Amino acid sequence: MPSIRVPSALRNLTKGAADVDVAAQNVRDALAELDKLHPGIAARVLDAGGGVRPFIKIFVGGEDIGELGGLDAAVTAKDEIAIVPAIAGGAGA
Amino acid sequence: MTRALLVGAGGLGGPIANGLAAAGHALTIVDPDVVELSNLHRQVQFSTSDLGASKAVVLAGDVNARAEVARWTPALGDACDLIVDASDDPATKFAISDWAVANGRRYVIASALRYGGNVFAGAPGAACYRCLFEDPVDDAPTCADAGVLGPVVGAIGGVAAAVAIGLAAGDRSLAGALLVFDDLRRVAEPRIVRFAPRPGCPACARAPISPQPKEAADAEHSRAKRTP
Repeated sequence: MPSIRVPSALRNLTKGAADVDVAAQNVRDALAELDKLHPGIAARVLDAGGGVRPFIKIFVGGEDIGELGGLDAAVTAKDEIAIVPAIAGGAGA
Repeated sequence: MTRALLVGAGGLGGPIANGLAAAGHALTIVDPDVVELSNLHRQVQFSTSDLGASKAVVLAGDVNARAEVARWTPALGDACDLIVDASDDPATKFAISDWAVANGRRYVIASALRYGGNVFAGAPGAACYRCLFEDPVDDAPTCADAGVLGPVVGAIGGVAAAVAIGLAAGDRSLAGALLVFDDLRRVAEPRIVRFAPRPGCPACARAPISPQPKEAADAEHSRAKRTP
């Protein structure tokens, strides 16, 4: 089954899990399944309209889903879905 | 010698400053903040004797760089060939990317949080940071409120310095690519994602038409120096 690579910034929602296996055939269903397992994470990735939030990118096998059909991009059992957010940290007080 | 501007003298800025200065670049370090006790676990360039002092001034003194106690402004970019962002502010990262694209500069955007981070390499003609992430958000967590493991900023800052040195030397192999570090145990194996410029990107729409002015000028300067 495909797995979702959760960025460290969101692992507080997955009890620290970096990789979560999900039963799904496309990215949209994979995120829904992830949210069932770890409620609240979809709201950090998707906007109110169900689209990917602007500061987050999602990749399947290293390819931006924007090039693969967006959230309808198909996934197979061997695929890794990576959620990559823009990160602010650097200097900081 | 490349004139490099480092924006942010904190956890990432420390190793980046050391890397760029050791490589012989003329470095200016910009940061408006002072050293606080809560910084010391990850900003190892500072010690308790630096508490209350300007981060930019202390770090610049360590690496023989110039200090500006200030935030990023476009005027600072004018005097530089390469900009490295190590700030803690999403809006600053986008502002630097936009300015660099519009003015034909090479740049690096470095970020770290908790146990991971990103390094983005930008150069004229390649996809930009706004092509990738589109818009900053106000509620993105920072190291100050979400925390970061001390060695993470050292590792990612070191990589950011290496990427910047490569860009300064004319290596475009990572231009438009994002290096993703999502597990400190795999810091030597970042996920490298390459992007094409995004159609409709407002920053790229303002980019100068070829030839890219700063890179073209640098190339011409290098050729002139090699000519007997």
